[in-house]
Amino acid sequence: MCERSEYRVAQPINATGRVYLTGMNRTALLGLLMAGLLAGCGSNVKFQAPTIPAPLLEKIPISVGLRMPENFEHFVHEEKVYGREQWSIDLGRSNAALFEQLFAHMFAEVTVVGPEDDPQLLPLHALIEPSIEAFEFSTPDQSNTEAFAVWIRYRLRVYDQSGDLVSNWPVSAYGKSQTTAMGGTDALQRAAVLAMRDAAALVIMKFDEVTHISALAEKSAAASGSPVELPADETQDTEVQTTALEGPQDEAG
Amino acid sequence: MKQVKQTVKAKFLILVTLTSAACVTSTVQDARTSVTGINEGESVVIMAKSYHLGNETEAKYIRCIEDNLARGRRGLRVIPHAEFVDSLFPWFEPRTAPAETKNLAKLMARPGVADKIAEHGIRYIIWLDGDTERVAGGGSLSCAAGPGGGGCFGFAWWQKDADYDAAVWDLQGLESAGTVSTDVSGTSFMPALVIPLPFIARTQAKACKTLADQLHSFIVQDETI
Repeated sequence: MCERSEYRVAQPINATGRVYLTGMNRTALLGLLMAGLLAGCGSNVKFQAPTIPAPLLEKIPISVGLRMPENFEHFVHEEKVYGREQWSIDLGRSNAALFEQLFAHMFAEVTVVGPEDDPQLLPLHALIEPSIEAFEFSTPDQSNTEAFAVWIRYRLRVYDQSGDLVSNWPVSAYGKSQTTAMGGTDALQRAAVLAMRDAAALVIMKFDEVTHISALAEKSAAASGSPVELPADETQDTEVQTTALEGPQDEAG
Repeated sequence: MKQVKQTVKAKFLILVTLTSAACVTSTVQDARTSVTGINEGESVVIMAKSYHLGNETEAKYIRCIEDNLARGRRGLRVIPHAEFVDSLFPWFEPRTAPAETKNLAKLMARPGVADKIAEHGIRYIIWLDGDTERVAGGGSLSCAAGPGGGGCFGFAWWQKDADYDAAVWDLQGLESAGTVSTDVSGTSFMPALVIPLPFIARTQAKACKTLADQLHSFIVQDETI
């Protein structure tokens, strides 16, 4: 048997052009095949942009600009789960869609400011600049449950009409979804959407309390000498009851 | 011939024994704190307590309770929880949902909330808490396959417990109407002699049926304390 193998090494290609493999070569090929298969053991998830339901709230009667970072249009998170598989999670423009919808629901007027635009030349009371600081997830194997969990940490910076930073607020959001017959990627996407909704809920509840953005309208009106009339019922009821309060901390100082 | 008959009878007895052995035991109880009842046009919504509080109630269990409450001639009008949560966004998200009935008055005072609840005709919100867990298991079962065929040999068993509580909130009086809880334990077996024979205890399904039936009685019956 061994001799036969040696013979094939000496004559790797026979008259018909077939390649013969030695035991060692066969093992190497199998190894390569296994490595290839393992390398291919990954999950690629591509998300659809979420739809945030129209919230039950009264809009804050100010005009804001929204300037989003480039990666909000195409955010990809890649992670190798230790000893398991490679994940590539393509959020697409989910983050951009989230904040466009959210702020359109929250403010009387929202202008999306491009990278070339000078916000100080626009009739805005404030400029909001969201960014994403972290995206993390856990699989059922890791958590020893039947659920995927997603954590997202955003940061919202608010600038006044003069371009001064007036608020710098980290927003941490969490979503969890159990695996279904539709498979893990469906549950992961659901968990991410729930995390985005969680962020939206926190922003709706706490944004004005933390950033005092509605006061910027009064400030800019005072500066221009024409006071802005706010509706009598504009006062935001910021005292809320929650099951889990995110400690709102404005890091602007 | 007699021997063959005896063998068949013995196998049948083993099968019956094992089938009955995949048993489920359940208890259900309620604690009423106010008078209940539901009028025509009024509805209920089933919600899971927040996962921010560590609750793990399965989405399929919520759907099961919804289906069972709505089923039949005397079924209740059930608003799907996803539709309810979306229509009242963001006030019933896991982070923002009221944790106690004392917060209901403030919630109802928020813009649009009372109108939306009235639009759905919601009389009761039922908050589910709990899950189904595998609590024990054992045995050994192995399978092998070869050119001549394959088969399994061994015996495996596992036990699942399904513990769920349902808190019923009455939106008419903005108060708690009481709680209903169920505790179901089921043991499943899988003996294998060439072919594995699963005897599965449907623990969660039983917990769903018992809780839904009791909730129906709890809400519909106009009992005084």
